[in-house]
Amino acid sequence: MRIRAERDDLADVLARAGRAVGTRSPLPILQGVLCEVEGSRLRVTGTDTDITIRTTLEVEALEDGRTVIPAKLAAEAVRKLPAGAVSMTAADGEVEITGNGPRFRLRELNVDDFPKLPEGSEGVSLSVDGASFTSALSQVGVAASGDEARPTLTGVLFEGEGDTMRLVATDSYRLAVRDMPDIAGTEPTLVPFRALRELGRALGEGAMDVVLGDRDANFATDRGSLSVRIIEANFPNYRQLLPESYPNRLVVSKTSLLDAVGRASLVAEDHIPVRLNLHDGGIELSVTRQEVGEETEHIEAEYQGEELTIAFNTRYLTDGVSAVASDEIVLETSDPLKPGLISGVNDEAFRYLLMPVRL
Amino acid sequence: MIDGMASSRTAAVLHCDLDAFYASVEQQKRPELRGKPIAVGGGVVLAASYEARAFGVRSAMPVGRARRMCPSLIVVDGSFSDYLDISDRIFDICRDFTPLVEQISIDEAFLDVSGATHLFGEPGTIGAEIRHRVRDETGLAISIGVASTKFLAKVGSQVAKPDGMIVVDPATEIEFLHALPTRLIWGVGPVTERKLAEMGITTIGQLAATERNVISKRMGRGAGGHLHALAWNKDPRRVRREHRAGSVGAQRAFGGDHRDPEFHRQVIFGLADRIGSRLRKKDRAGRTVSVRVRFSDQQVVSRATTLVAPVATTAAIAQIAEHLVAVAITEAAEGRGLSLIGISISKLVVSPHLQLELPLETDGAGGITRAGSLHDLERTALDAAVDQLRDRFGKETVAKASSMLRGTRGVPDEFGDLAIPVSER
Repeated sequence: MRIRAERDDLADVLARAGRAVGTRSPLPILQGVLCEVEGSRLRVTGTDTDITIRTTLEVEALEDGRTVIPAKLAAEAVRKLPAGAVSMTAADGEVEITGNGPRFRLRELNVDDFPKLPEGSEGVSLSVDGASFTSALSQVGVAASGDEARPTLTGVLFEGEGDTMRLVATDSYRLAVRDMPDIAGTEPTLVPFRALRELGRALGEGAMDVVLGDRDANFATDRGSLSVRIIEANFPNYRQLLPESYPNRLVVSKTSLLDAVGRASLVAEDHIPVRLNLHDGGIELSVTRQEVGEETEHIEAEYQGEELTIAFNTRYLTDGVSAVASDEIVLETSDPLKPGLISGVNDEAFRYLLMPVRL
Repeated sequence: MIDGMASSRTAAVLHCDLDAFYASVEQQKRPELRGKPIAVGGGVVLAASYEARAFGVRSAMPVGRARRMCPSLIVVDGSFSDYLDISDRIFDICRDFTPLVEQISIDEAFLDVSGATHLFGEPGTIGAEIRHRVRDETGLAISIGVASTKFLAKVGSQVAKPDGMIVVDPATEIEFLHALPTRLIWGVGPVTERKLAEMGITTIGQLAATERNVISKRMGRGAGGHLHALAWNKDPRRVRREHRAGSVGAQRAFGGDHRDPEFHRQVIFGLADRIGSRLRKKDRAGRTVSVRVRFSDQQVVSRATTLVAPVATTAAIAQIAEHLVAVAITEAAEGRGLSLIGISISKLVVSPHLQLELPLETDGAGGITRAGSLHDLERTALDAAVDQLRDRFGKETVAKASSMLRGTRGVPDEFGDLAIPVSER
């Protein structure tokens, strides 16, 4: 295998494919990326066997061939070469990377050890706008769990709701729902958020094809593709948690609430919740940490309902409020021990249900 | 941690040791038992009165054997909570003299009175006053050793027993110590005593006179050096005031070689029940659960796990502990059975805020170990009901069906606590 390409282009395809490479993989071969040259096309594949990212680049191909090179090292080596053309040659168990003087000779990994990966998958195919899709994913993704002991909760549910696509995630403390009315729905499919988080950086934000199959989900743009094994489990029944209406409704400026919770967080480490006393005149916010001190403040807000004091984990509250797109947020509540619902004013597309902290 | 400032050349360390504690408490409570050989325990003697000891009855002895040795033996059930109360009262008396009280078990404590002498007089005077007040206020006898080190103070109280006090003058402490048998050294049990005897060493003086290397060769370098240092009263440990309880634990030694998971489960549940109810009584919950298991050949192995949020339900503690015991067995048992299981819970928080979970019903029993889950809330309510019933109608009112049906009465579980340092109880 022998190619020549622009430094920045080559560094980019190596680094993006390398995002799928796990930092602590038990198999040495999975620390590498597979580089394949055919015609004038270089294809780079990185995988941790659950997530696979493929990137492609038009190159000056002097000799076709395949090699596996250490992902992080090769990408960094290319990136640190002087600007301009870079050539990469694989022969006799070594890969030589040179450009304008410096020369790396890196040990090749055994190309035959690289796992055989499925190419694409069958299933419902959707076309989405990459930018709005990745932003919708990041809105619900805050609620996805990172706890591998509860795999079902580490995924984002894709499902049809009428003629819209709905994305749902929950870590059991909060639940985020995002409706995308401009996309057709699908059969319920649970996709690891760990993979979805990479979409923007791995594939860019152009037009994206989404294929949800029985075993894998595939995402592709003109810059490459990402495929991931779906989570084969039933997502919990979340619909029963979203009541039609709430007795109490608060409308408050997103920034004033975020700023106030930010100040409260200075005091509220260690899972200490922030208390919100909701009443006609607005919010009395307070946080007390026994050995440290307290913070209190008043926040202007519109409130309709019974006076109520409810407490939330500051991080979970911040996550939900930040994810709302509008400048004004709505907080609906019914009871200090029942979940509150956060959404944007005149924005039904995103809802964030947050369980309170019992004092 | 506050350390004692006792200089090594003044005798200001007191070791206070209650005499035949449980048996004496029972004799205090029931005057008809006074002067008679009694034993506290169920299947096994937990404590014997001095009258029973005269017949050779010792703690840890099966009751049947004790009865054969002493046909007039009266065996009584213990009442652990009484013992804890009285123990607290007695060591509170000690705290009237110095804040530096290090309680090492239910019936023993070290005191450093070096900062108290200007108020209360010489250490020996303080010791005498403590003995007087304990006798006056509880009717119990407490023996006291006063010396320059913890080690020698403990030796002193052993020599002083029963119902006595010894003040070891630093000027003559080595002579005093060297005349004593090696078994009075803290940590010298029958096995070590025999090993030393095989080397011709029966007194502490002989031990002191033997080259350290010679002892180390026989006993191992660490143990050898340690023994040799003690024989010269070299003991740098200071009296430390204990922290507020940073953990709550309990253990149960059942002896033998138990492999039946159902038996382990019952022991674990019993321990979890006690730890849970104590945590809840103190309005605490903990994030780290540790287990200690002892295999049939005495080897001890520990495993621990730390949770995201603190738990206090019996069910959560039991489930996590059962898992950890299973891990310990899988990783280290190599075919051996268990003779002891201990559980402790640490990283405690007071009246924890509880992040509730959405009622998702995602998982089966797994939710029990997650604070704030539906399962956890159910278990919390259940525990609260059980705690309340027990408070009103007594400890035996409610228990898990399997533990009630078991029906065998061995050593009451709560006595397992006695093997655990006070700060962890």
